Amino acid sequence: MELVCLGVNHKTAPVEVRERFAVGITRLGEASQNLLEMAGAPEGVVVSTCNRTEFYLAAENASEVFAKLEKGLAEKVHGHEEPFYRYEKKEAARHLCKVVSGMDSMLLGETEIFGQVKQAYHAAHAAGTTGPFLNKLFQKVFSVGKKVRTQTSIQEGSTSIGNVAVELAEKIFGHLKNSEVMVLGAGEMSRLTAQALVSRGAKSIIVANRTHDRAIELAKEMKGRAVRFDNWLGVLKNVDVVISSTGAPHTIIHKAEIESIRRARKFRPLFLIDIAVPRDIEHTVGEIEEVYLYDIDALEQLAEQAKVRRVNQILECEKIIELELLKIVR
Amino acid sequence: MDRWFLILATLLAVAAGVRGLLALRHGQKSGWTVWWMIAAMLCQIGYLVVRGEMRGACPLRSIAEISAYLAWSLTLFYLLIGPVYRISLLGVFTAPVVALFQGFALLPGKLDPTPARVLNTTAWGETHSAVSVLAYGALALAAVAGVMFLVLDRQLKEHHLKGGLFRFLPPVRELLVSLERLLWLGMALLSVGLIAGIMMPHETESAWEHVFIASGVWAAYIGLILTKWIRGITGRKFALGAVLLFVLSLGVFAFV
Repeated sequence: MELVCLGVNHKTAPVEVRERFAVGITRLGEASQNLLEMAGAPEGVVVSTCNRTEFYLAAENASEVFAKLEKGLAEKVHGHEEPFYRYEKKEAARHLCKVVSGMDSMLLGETEIFGQVKQAYHAAHAAGTTGPFLNKLFQKVFSVGKKVRTQTSIQEGSTSIGNVAVELAEKIFGHLKNSEVMVLGAGEMSRLTAQALVSRGAKSIIVANRTHDRAIELAKEMKGRAVRFDNWLGVLKNVDVVISSTGAPHTIIHKAEIESIRRARKFRPLFLIDIAVPRDIEHTVGEIEEVYLYDIDALEQLAEQAKVRRVNQILECEKIIELELLKIVR
Repeated sequence: MDRWFLILATLLAVAAGVRGLLALRHGQKSGWTVWWMIAAMLCQIGYLVVRGEMRGACPLRSIAEISAYLAWSLTLFYLLIGPVYRISLLGVFTAPVVALFQGFALLPGKLDPTPARVLNTTAWGETHSAVSVLAYGALALAAVAGVMFLVLDRQLKEHHLKGGLFRFLPPVRELLVSLERLLWLGMALLSVGLIAGIMMPHETESAWEHVFIASGVWAAYIGLILTKWIRGITGRKFALGAVLLFVLSLGVFAFV
């Protein structure tokens, strides 16, 4: 019995092709049963995410299985160039290890894929399409994925500005459930960053915008409250995080203003995120002891550093996978 | 025997610190620090039992004994607080301080191999020494948390956010809360120690001098805590205050 993999992903097929192969979470088991029928193999698992659909099979004859699968899937490919990649034996196991480790993902090292593959395997197992061969293989692959993620920094650091901001906020305040966030300017960037903070449990959101109606709209969307733009300093006393992204041609937050409310804030830490260009916050505000000021360049640099760190980990991850493959495929 | 227990405790604390730092250099967190420190604690207890038997009283009669007891107290508070509140890396920062205090006690000529038995102990006197040094354990741990805050604060201010140290240090707010709690705990114990110190019999003038200095230290710490509580103070000043007060008070007592 040998392992066979045939699949399409974001590297080999555009979304209009990938969507034809996509299988919803609730239909993964049924899809695995259909797969066995189509390929005439004893064991099979269908993995399907937004960026990939892959068919893993245990078969006696790989070329025969590939031929049957391609024939069965030909209709879905119609009108497009050959979108499939094929792996057999050790290559297929290596590929699966890379997939669960996030090394084959669009966003290198992303963590979601691990759970998605697990979900696909459990669905197939429940549908009775896995047997001793795939059960053993998938269990071993999951432990390889865990090893790669814990022994390397492949998933370390945030790679988007919103996530960098969240990571920093959590480094300063811990759980965000006790943190109040103020958004200055109701643009897209501030909305996304605020949303990222809310999704991590930020206690409340206050929105201030020059056009008050827009502030009300965004506040409603975020389940927060709107304040008049002229009054932002008045509410800063209880705020922990400020996201500023107005379209103002000059700075709107000055050192003197922050200095004036330090006492009222009892000198508590204040995290200022300036994602506006030109900048909204005077750079000297960062000189105030309890203020942590990050502008768009600093955040982008951190996101970029995280990406580079992840890329630098590829070799390390591959080493672990190769060592583990020796145990999986003898 | 007491010396051997202390040597072993020191080696274990060094191992905890070194292993923790090596793990950090590799971008990982050592899960073994707490176990090394538990082992160190057991050896410290062994030392205290043997030494206490030799003295016939709480072994707090020389600077070396006080230093070793302080190391035990610091380890005790670390083990009580660190894992419970999940203050990551507290052990890595605490272990070198424990090793330092014990290393000092082990310096040649410091720890008398045949200590004189204490004949005239009083309850107030024993309470004063034991509880005061215990308080210093909490205050030492507060200083350790202060150092951790200062490291993280610097990293965040200067945008140096790479490496295991940044990744595993607890959040700023948690460090400040722990620091404050430890100072309150230390102060509560120090207050008891101070009251016992006033109540104990004073036969010499230097004994009153000691109480007078202890009161000064107590007042300085109370000043720091009340400033934070009533007026507010920046995290950096609060942490620096905790570190400097601890170092200063140790320095003062070393000469009294």
